[in-house]
Amino acid sequence: MKIKNIVMFLLIILASIGFVLAIAELPPYGMPDNPIHNGVYDRYVGDAISETGSINIVTSIVLDYRAYDTMFETIVLFTATIASVITLKKSKRGEKDR
Amino acid sequence: MNKLLNKILINYPYFFAVILFAIGVATIVTRSNMFKKLLGLNIMESAVYLMFIAAGNIRGATEPIITDSNAGSTIINPLPSALMLTGIVVSVSVTAFALALILRMYKHYGTTDAILIAEMRDKNEKWGNK
Repeated sequence: MKIKNIVMFLLIILASIGFVLAIAELPPYGMPDNPIHNGVYDRYVGDAISETGSINIVTSIVLDYRAYDTMFETIVLFTATIASVITLKKSKRGEKDR
Repeated sequence: MNKLLNKILINYPYFFAVILFAIGVATIVTRSNMFKKLLGLNIMESAVYLMFIAAGNIRGATEPIITDSNAGSTIINPLPSALMLTGIVVSVSVTAFALALILRMYKHYGTTDAILIAEMRDKNEKWGNK
């Protein structure tokens, strides 16, 4: 048990070194000319007010540009709720609780 | 070596996200209690949120709410924030269902320890029970 934990920690440290070597090659943090701030960013920031009427751009993305995403998100939430209720429900018909 | 350290220092939020992710993985693989495994999973998800939100940040920019006071200034990228909202909902759903399964398991086996449950199942199979 102890030996297994130590081996696991060594493996995790090895993987973390790989992750750190990967993040060192990412574009520098917080710069305005990073590749993540591309034409999509310009479109959302520039046209969100005139196209959706919301001053909060996150709201306009969640509820207008990507509304299907939000709709299926609510379906995911609903399915998880129903699955939890069915899992916790006591079984009827007097059968043994399995 | 010095150059690598400098690059990591510039990208310090990603570095903290890696540390959080390692903590989550360590919690999952070394703890046998199911609740602690679930906590580790949530810590890993927090690391992913930190990674995304940090990637969308711009130094010195304001929040993505356009009012009269910040009309001319640059604003941060709103897309990672909107995507992580979806991620948080999925995380809450997974946590709720996993908690329901753990509660059911506790009612059946009387423990939430994964190793003890595996031993019980092995013993039951040897004796020919269901």
